[in-house]
Amino acid sequence: MSTEFPEWLRGRTDEQLRALVTARPELITPVPAHVDGLAARAGSPSALGRALDRLDRFTLAVVETLTLQPGPITRKALRSSLDKAAAGTAGKKELDAALDEALDRLRTRGLAFGPDDALLPAPGVVEALDPPAGLGPPAAEVFRHHSPEALEVLLDDIGAPRRDGSPRDRLAELLADPTTVGRLVAEVSPQARAALDELSWGPASGRLPNARRDIRTATAQSPIEQLLARGLLGATGDESVALPREVALFLRDGRVHRDLSPRPPDLEGARRDQVLADRTAAGQAFTLVRTVEELCEHWSVEPPGVLRTGGLAIRDLKRTAQSLDLPEWAAGLVVEIAYAAGLVASGGSVDGEWLPTPAYDGWRVKSTEDRWALLASAWAGMDRVPGLIGERDDRDRPLNALHPDLRRPAAAQVRAQTLAVLASAGPGLAPAAASVLARLSWEQPRRRGAQRDRLAELTLREAEQVGVTGLGVLSAHGHGIVRGDGTAAGLLAPLLPEPVDHVLLQADLTAVAPGPLTSDLGRWLALTADVESKGGATVYRFSERSIRRALDAGQSADDVAGMLERHSATAVPQPLRYLISDVARRHGRIRVGTASAYVRCDDPSVLDEVLADKRAGLLRLRRLAPTVLASKTSRATLIDSLRAMGYAPVAESLEGDVLVSRADSRRTDGPPVARGAGPTGPEPDVAAAAIRAMRAGDEAHRTRRRPSHGPDGQVPRSPATATIQALQDAIRQGSRVWIGYLDAQGHATSRILEPARMEGGYLTAYDETRAAVHRFALHRITGIADVS
Amino acid sequence: MNDGPLIVQSDKTLLLEVDHERADECRKAIAPFAELERAPEHVHTYRVTPLALWNARAAGHDAEQVVDALIGFSRYPVPHALLVDVAETMSRYGRLRLDKHPTHGLVLTSTDRAVLEEVLRSKKIQPLLGDRIGSDAVAVHPSERGNIKQLLLKIGWPAEDLAGYVDGEHHAIALAEDGWTLRPYQKEAADAFWHGGSGVVVLPCGAGKTIVGAAAMAHAEATTLIMVTNTVSAHQWKQELIKRTSLTEDEIGEYTGTKKEIRPVTIATYQVMTTRRQGVYRHLELFDARDWGLVIYDEVHLLPAPIFRMTADLQARRRMGLTATLIREDGREGDVFSLIGPKRYDAPWKEMETQGWIAPADCVEVRVTLSDEERLAYAMAESDERYRFCSTTPSKTRVTEALVRRHGGEQVLVIGQYIDQLDELGEHLNAPVIKGETRVRERERLFQAFRDKEIQVLVVSKVANFSIDLPEASIAIQVSGTFGSRQEEAQRLGRVLRPKADGGGARFYSIVSRDTVDQEFAAHRQRFLAEQGYAYRIVDADDVGEENPAR
Repeated sequence: MSTEFPEWLRGRTDEQLRALVTARPELITPVPAHVDGLAARAGSPSALGRALDRLDRFTLAVVETLTLQPGPITRKALRSSLDKAAAGTAGKKELDAALDEALDRLRTRGLAFGPDDALLPAPGVVEALDPPAGLGPPAAEVFRHHSPEALEVLLDDIGAPRRDGSPRDRLAELLADPTTVGRLVAEVSPQARAALDELSWGPASGRLPNARRDIRTATAQSPIEQLLARGLLGATGDESVALPREVALFLRDGRVHRDLSPRPPDLEGARRDQVLADRTAAGQAFTLVRTVEELCEHWSVEPPGVLRTGGLAIRDLKRTAQSLDLPEWAAGLVVEIAYAAGLVASGGSVDGEWLPTPAYDGWRVKSTEDRWALLASAWAGMDRVPGLIGERDDRDRPLNALHPDLRRPAAAQVRAQTLAVLASAGPGLAPAAASVLARLSWEQPRRRGAQRDRLAELTLREAEQVGVTGLGVLSAHGHGIVRGDGTAAGLLAPLLPEPVDHVLLQADLTAVAPGPLTSDLGRWLALTADVESKGGATVYRFSERSIRRALDAGQSADDVAGMLERHSATAVPQPLRYLISDVARRHGRIRVGTASAYVRCDDPSVLDEVLADKRAGLLRLRRLAPTVLASKTSRATLIDSLRAMGYAPVAESLEGDVLVSRADSRRTDGPPVARGAGPTGPEPDVAAAAIRAMRAGDEAHRTRRRPSHGPDGQVPRSPATATIQALQDAIRQGSRVWIGYLDAQGHATSRILEPARMEGGYLTAYDETRAAVHRFALHRITGIADVS
Repeated sequence: MNDGPLIVQSDKTLLLEVDHERADECRKAIAPFAELERAPEHVHTYRVTPLALWNARAAGHDAEQVVDALIGFSRYPVPHALLVDVAETMSRYGRLRLDKHPTHGLVLTSTDRAVLEEVLRSKKIQPLLGDRIGSDAVAVHPSERGNIKQLLLKIGWPAEDLAGYVDGEHHAIALAEDGWTLRPYQKEAADAFWHGGSGVVVLPCGAGKTIVGAAAMAHAEATTLIMVTNTVSAHQWKQELIKRTSLTEDEIGEYTGTKKEIRPVTIATYQVMTTRRQGVYRHLELFDARDWGLVIYDEVHLLPAPIFRMTADLQARRRMGLTATLIREDGREGDVFSLIGPKRYDAPWKEMETQGWIAPADCVEVRVTLSDEERLAYAMAESDERYRFCSTTPSKTRVTEALVRRHGGEQVLVIGQYIDQLDELGEHLNAPVIKGETRVRERERLFQAFRDKEIQVLVVSKVANFSIDLPEASIAIQVSGTFGSRQEEAQRLGRVLRPKADGGGARFYSIVSRDTVDQEFAAHRQRFLAEQGYAYRIVDADDVGEENPAR
C-alpha cells in the first residue's frame, strides 16, 4: 500500500495545509487526529466528490487527463494533451498560465501531488472520477468478463500475432496501439463508423439485447456486430456494451476533451448606465423594506394560521399578496425573507399563528439601509427556495410558503455563485440569464443540472425584486451583499430618499409626504389618516373615520390640529380644520364600557349605603345612574360580598354580556431560524487551530506506529487508512487480499477476498473462503495483508 | 440625489410638486401619457393607466419617451417593475391594426402573429371576422369596425385604426370671425382633433366647447350631425353656429321631439335618438339620411348606452366628443376610447381660470344642522327615503332664502333635484321654476328673461344641468343633487363659470345637512372639483348672515 500521498501531505507547510482545509472544510469536521487521518479522509469518496464538484471545467479537465495515465505524468505531457483539446481557444502563454494555476489549485486541494516531472492524482481520485471525460472503461476492464477462449477467437480474427500472456492483456495491448485500431476502424462499414463516432464523445456505453453473442468478423451482419467482432466494442453485461477507452481516445484523435477553454465563457447581455441601475435597485430596496414592514404590521393584527403540516396556507398567501399589492410569487418571497431574517415565526403552539418576533421591533426602528442590509443578507444566505411556492412536490402535494419542504441544501450556494457571476460582470453589464447559466456550468461542471439552472434563474429574478440588482446589473449595495463585509448599508444610504419631517396639506383633505417620513410622524399620520398611495412619497387622506380613529387613540382635536400645524409646510386648509372639529364635536358623546356585573336597586338610598361601606372598596363599584352600580368583579363574587355585608341580593340572568378584549399586536419567540451553511470555508483561525492539532497528533501517532504486516497465521491488523488504501490498490490491480473481519456477532474471522468495489462504507468482494460475493462493512475490517 | 419635481409611486400615480421650478416642464412631459387625477394646491396627482398610455401611443409617443420622462423628472428612484409595465403596456398598442385593403375592404393586420392567433381564438371576436388573408391579416366585416375595436380593447390588445374616414358630403362651412377670434386653446383643440382623426376634447364648462365644435366643422367642410343632451341645448348650438360660422339658419336642421328637420348640419338630441317604439329605435335612419362627414357628441360623458351601440356603426366617419369631465359614473371610459376615439386635448380647469377664460369661482359648502324633530324623523326614515329626507329638509329652505337675500342684485340660480322642494323654494323666493314639465318655449322665455336681468332668481331642476348658456349667472345655490354624482357637481358649477362682463368671480353654494347621508354624498360629489383645485370652504348655516357679502 502506498504511503506516498500521506508523506507528501506531511511534507506540506502549515500554510499549505491551512489552504487545504480552507478549500475543503469538510476535512476538519471533525478534526482528524493526525496527518494520516487527514490523508485518509481526503481520499474518501464523499470528500473527493465534494472537492471535485468545486472544480471549474478546465481544472477538472486537467485532473481527468492526469487520471488517464497509469503512472506519473510530466507536466509537458499533460500540457501537450491539453493543448490539443484547447486548440484555437487560447494562446500558448494563456494555456501555460492556466495550467500552472490549475496544478497549483489541485495541489493546494490535495487532489494531485508530486513534482512537475512526476504528477500523480491523489489516491481515490481515479475512482471518484470514473468514468473520466465521458470515456468508457479501459479495454482490460471491458473484456474482463469474456472467457479466455472467446478472446483467443477474437484475437485470431483481427489477426493478432500469437504470443504468450493472457488473451485479455494481449487485446488491451493491441487496442492501445493506434495503428492497429486505425486498421480495424478502417475495416468496418460506414454505418458502423457512424455508430463509433456517436459513442466516442460519450456516453461510451449503450444497451444491446443479447450483447454476449458469438460473432466472427466473417459472420458479422449489423454494424454493431462488426464492431463487436473486432473488439472495438465489448459486452459489459448481458444487455450492455461499452466502447473501450483506448478506442475512444483514438477516435478522439488524441484529445481527451472536445473543446476546452482555459478561461470561462464571456458574460453577454445588455449594457446599462450603472448609476441608473444603482438608483433603480435602491428604489426596489426601499420598496422591499416597506413591504416587509407592511407585512409584519399586517400580521401582528391579523396573523395567519400555521398549517398542520407547517407553512402558510395558499389562501393566506393570496390574501397577503393582495394586501401587499404584489404578485403571488413576490409575496411569497417577501414572506420567506421576513422569515429568514427572523422577523416572523410561528407561535409554536398546536394551532399556531405566524407572528412577528421581538426582533421585528428592533428591526423596525433601524434606519432603512440597515434594515435592507439585514433582509438582503438573510435572502442571500437562506437555504430555502421561495420560487418553488405553489408548485407540487414528488408526491403531488402543493408546496406552501414557510413550509419546511422549501429547503434545498444547494440553494444558498447556487445563489452565492450566481451573485458572484453577476459581480464579475463589470459595471453596467446586465448579463443575460443564458450567459449566467453557461458561466455557472463552466465554473462547476459536475454540479450542472436542471435544479441548479432553475435555482440560478430564480436567483436572478429574486435579486431584482430584493433590489440587489437594478435593470439586471448588480448594484453598488448589491456588491456589498455579495462581499458580505457589512458595507452594503453604507453604500445604499446615499441612494435612498432622505426622511422628511413635514407634509403638504391640501384642501381636498389629502396630505402628501414628499419622501419617507421620520418614523414618529409616519406612525402618527398612519393613525390619523388613511394611506392612499405609497412609493417614494406617501399620500394620506383624512376622513371622518380616520380622524375618529386618532381621537379614539386618545388624542384631542387640539392635539391633532397642533400636530398638523407643526408638520405642515403650508397653512392647514380650512376644510381640514372643519373636519377635525366636526368629528371632535360628535366624538365621545356616547360612552361604552365593560362591566362584568351590576347592582340594581329601586331605592337609591340603599345604593348610597352600599357605596359608603368600606368593605365594598374591593368590589370596585361605580355608580352609572342613581339606581345602578357597575362592578368589575364577577356576579358570583358580588353576590357573595353583598351577602357578607348583610344584604340579600338576588342574581339576575344576564344576556348579551360579552367580554371581548384582545391585544392588538402580538409577538412570538419562534424557534430560531436555521441558516443554510454558507458557501464560505471555515474561519482562518479555525483552520489554523485544526492544523496545529493535527500536527501535534501526528507526532504522537508516528512515534507508536508499527509495521502493518501482521505475522502469518494471525488475523491481520492495520490502521484504517492503510486498510482502505490497500483495498483500493487491490481493486485496481484485481489482486486477492487477506482480511481480518469481525462478524455480526463480534467474532474475529479471517477471509481471503477478491475485492470488486468499495462504496458507501461497504466493500463488495468475492469471498473465496465462502465462494460467494459478499458485502463487508469497512469499519469491521480489522486489518489487511497481501495473499502472497 | 436627483432633485426633480416628480415622485413616481408604486401604484402608478405620479405626484407633481407644482411649486417646483421644473414643474411646468415636467407637466408638459408627462401630460401625454398620464391622466390628471387631482389638482389641488400643492401636489398634483397624475395616473398612468393603460388607456392613458395607449392615448400617448395614438398621439405618436413611444415607451422610451415615457420612461425617459419618468426617470428624468423623478426625485427618487423609479421602481423597476413600473418601468417594465409601462413598456409592456405600450407595446400592446399597435400590434394590431385596422387597415383598408384594396380588395378585401377592412382588414385586421398584425405585426405579431402570436397576438393575431390569440385574438382569432377569442369566441367573442370570431363572428366579427371574415376570411383569413395570408398569415398576418384577416378580413373584418366593415360593419363591425366599432365592435371589434371595443372588444380588442377589452382583451387588452387595442387596435390602431388606420382605415381612414369617408370624406362625407361636402358642405362649405367657415368660421365667421367678425369681432371675435378663436382662442388659442380652442384652435389647439380643434387642430389636435383634426390631426388625430377622431377623439375627445376635454374643456371646462364655459370654456367654449361649442366653438371648438364649430372650428372642427370648418376643418371638415362637410355635412355634420351634432348630438346634444336636450332641446334647449340644441337651440343654443344652432344660435351659436349661426353667430360664429358662415352657416345660415336654413342650413341647420333640428331633429328633436317636435321638429324632424334633416339639413346639411343637423342637431339631434340623445333622447329622440334613443326613443323606441315597440322595441325599435325609430330614428336610426337619421344616421344614414345623409353622408355625414363629421359627427359631434356633446357632453360625451353622458352618452347613453344605445348611442354607443349606434356609434359602433359609424366608425368610418369622423367623430368628435366634447366634455368637461371625462368621468363616467358607469366606468365606460374604455368605450369612449374605442368608439369615439382617444383623448385629443385636455386643459386643467385652474389653468383656464388663471388665463381668464373662465371666471374664478369660490365654492362654499353650507352646513345646516337639523332641528331635533327633524333628526328624530331622519333616524326613523326608511333607508331608501333618508337621502331625500335630509336633502329636502325645511332648514335648507331658510338658509337658501338667507343666501338669496344676501346676494340681492346678482343673478342667482337655485339648483335642486326634488321637484317638491323646488316648488316650495319658488314660492318662498317668489321666483319662477323650470323643471322637466316646463315647455321648451316657456323655458327659453325664462332663460332669456334671466339673461336680460328681468328676473334675478331662477329655480331650476336637473334639466338645466348641462349646456344651458347663462353667462350672467354669478351665484349658484345647490340645494340637492343626484346622490354622489361628481360630474353633476362639476356641471352645475359650470353654469356660473362663463367669464362675467364685469370680470367678477362666481360663487357656488352647496347646502348640506350635517351628520346625514347628505354630507357623505356631498363629500363624494365635491371630489372632482376639489381635485381640480376648487377648494370648498365650509361654513355653518348660522354664520351665513355674518359673512361678508360677496365681493
